[in-house]
Amino acid sequence: MSETTSRSRTIMVVGGGIAGITAAVEAAEAGHDVVLIEKSPSLGGRVAQMNRYFPKLCHPTCGLEINFQRIKKSKRISVFTFSEVSAVKGGPGGYTVTVKTSPRHVKANCTACGDCAKVATSEVSNAFNYGMDSVKSAYLPHVMAFPMRYVVDPSVVGTPEGEAIKAACPVGAVDLEQKDESFDLEVGAVVWATGWRPYPAANLTAYRWTDIPDVITNVEMERLASVDGPTKGKIVRPSNGEAPKRVALIQCAGSRDLNHLAYCSRICCLASMKHAAYVREQLADATVDVYYIDLRAHDKLESFLNRLKRDPQVNFVKSKPARIEKSEAGGPVVCGENTLTREVYAEPYDLVVLATGMQASLAAEGQPSFAADFDDYGFVFAEGDSIAAGVASGPLDVSMSVQSATAAACRAIRAVTA
Amino acid sequence: MNAMSPTPSKAYDLNFARWVYENVDGGDRMALCMQCGTCSGSCPIGTQMDHGPRKLFMMIRAGMKDAVLSSNTLWNCVSCYNCVVRCPRQVPVTYILHDLAHVAVREGYAQAKESDNARFAKAFWWSAAKYGRTDERLVTAKYYFSFGVGEGIKRGMANQKIAMGMVKTKRMHLGMPHKVKNTGELHAILAKAAEMEAKKHGAK
Repeated sequence: MSETTSRSRTIMVVGGGIAGITAAVEAAEAGHDVVLIEKSPSLGGRVAQMNRYFPKLCHPTCGLEINFQRIKKSKRISVFTFSEVSAVKGGPGGYTVTVKTSPRHVKANCTACGDCAKVATSEVSNAFNYGMDSVKSAYLPHVMAFPMRYVVDPSVVGTPEGEAIKAACPVGAVDLEQKDESFDLEVGAVVWATGWRPYPAANLTAYRWTDIPDVITNVEMERLASVDGPTKGKIVRPSNGEAPKRVALIQCAGSRDLNHLAYCSRICCLASMKHAAYVREQLADATVDVYYIDLRAHDKLESFLNRLKRDPQVNFVKSKPARIEKSEAGGPVVCGENTLTREVYAEPYDLVVLATGMQASLAAEGQPSFAADFDDYGFVFAEGDSIAAGVASGPLDVSMSVQSATAAACRAIRAVTA
Repeated sequence: MNAMSPTPSKAYDLNFARWVYENVDGGDRMALCMQCGTCSGSCPIGTQMDHGPRKLFMMIRAGMKDAVLSSNTLWNCVSCYNCVVRCPRQVPVTYILHDLAHVAVREGYAQAKESDNARFAKAFWWSAAKYGRTDERLVTAKYYFSFGVGEGIKRGMANQKIAMGMVKTKRMHLGMPHKVKNTGELHAILAKAAEMEAKKHGAK
């Protein structure tokens, strides 16, 4: 332990998803100053991009709204969006963290009136919808954005369009002069809540996500089913916009595979049950085939799985499909061996959803050495001085992430008060 | 443990899986198989195998030694390596099947003598071992005549047109068989390899 004289009692939380938000509000409500660092324009992370939570199928906006209120009410939380940690020096009780911010080009006095978006003419890929559609170059990250502020894409800076966007703002909030910045913060503890990213489906070459439009991933399915998604909540085939009649859900797409993610991502089985429920809710005639190695309904969630098993229009096929082929009409044909009947099948579908797994964000970005200790799979090894919340520490669902974040907040508090 | 086979006389052998794990090329990784079916589903001739690799591995675990070593799965593998590339547990399926075929030959299973692919493999190896090259005519003739003189002539006549076409397009040659420069050295290498193999598996 370092000398007590230079100790900081501020807690830094890196990552503003459900785990980071929870760790931040728990620590702040216990009386500690918290700095919350978020890379994207808005808090909420992957949870904001979900349509529903399993098993009760309630909307994540509800849980997020409560937490955003808690952040707003707290005087102890400082939120930095568009920010990333670029270096960490020092040790427990006295870290110096270098934070790098990129420009939003919109100042804090933005009222989210949307006048800037009305004059914007060019469009950029919509990261919130995983690039399934595009947004105006002056945009609100999503309807539940926190902070509720627009973003002006850097691509219009220095163009006449950028000037028009600036002129359209009634409160003068658009600032095209903003540049990348870097600053140091003194904190006593760092909580890594850096979360996950969907494993890149392009790596699963045999499943042809890149060249068959009706092969999508589970996170894309969430956006398709969301009312604020690219199709306003309608589950349709991306190729022709029609409702699918036969849907295949493929489990372990990249998980439990030594060529991809060696571990079980734990949540995908239940997430796919949720997708089966979305399809059955919207499309009365549609049938769903679930391809699985084994179904892992963790914790108390087996009843949700059993509910879907009772549905005669949801079938379960024990098989990890070997490949997806393209039919003459351009649709996906799922090929493999049914391991219970030993039958080699080739089944055409209207829509195939790949249950891609969870990859640790920090690992995907090359495991910065300053961050923490990592396990073999790139998750933060949360022992000793290393504190992690949520999926940064391993694959978890939302409720487990929240539990993990509360535990992380307790450990951080102990670290700064010891 | 007898390295050849734990109990060669038994048709059904509970030690068979362990024996395969320890003695068959790639068998140690077969222990990691999780029965997902990617191998059998990836197989371009999966519909022409009686069991396919996944089921065969389960049969090994179940100790069904006779059924495994009489299976056509060992002989129908075309070594495309789709299964090896896709296997989520990185099980070298192709190596295992080929080495099991060796075991079937060593133990004298009928499938290893009589199936088309076993006969062809034998003819192929005969040419490769003798000349260091495979000669299309000799391999084909050896394979055809393995069914008997009458059958050999019949098959040869039936494919005469193809053979002539191949000669015309220089895909098959007439005259002396192709061979490597020093066949004597090749034979010495192969004799040494056979000696090492015999030592490993117990002389038979």
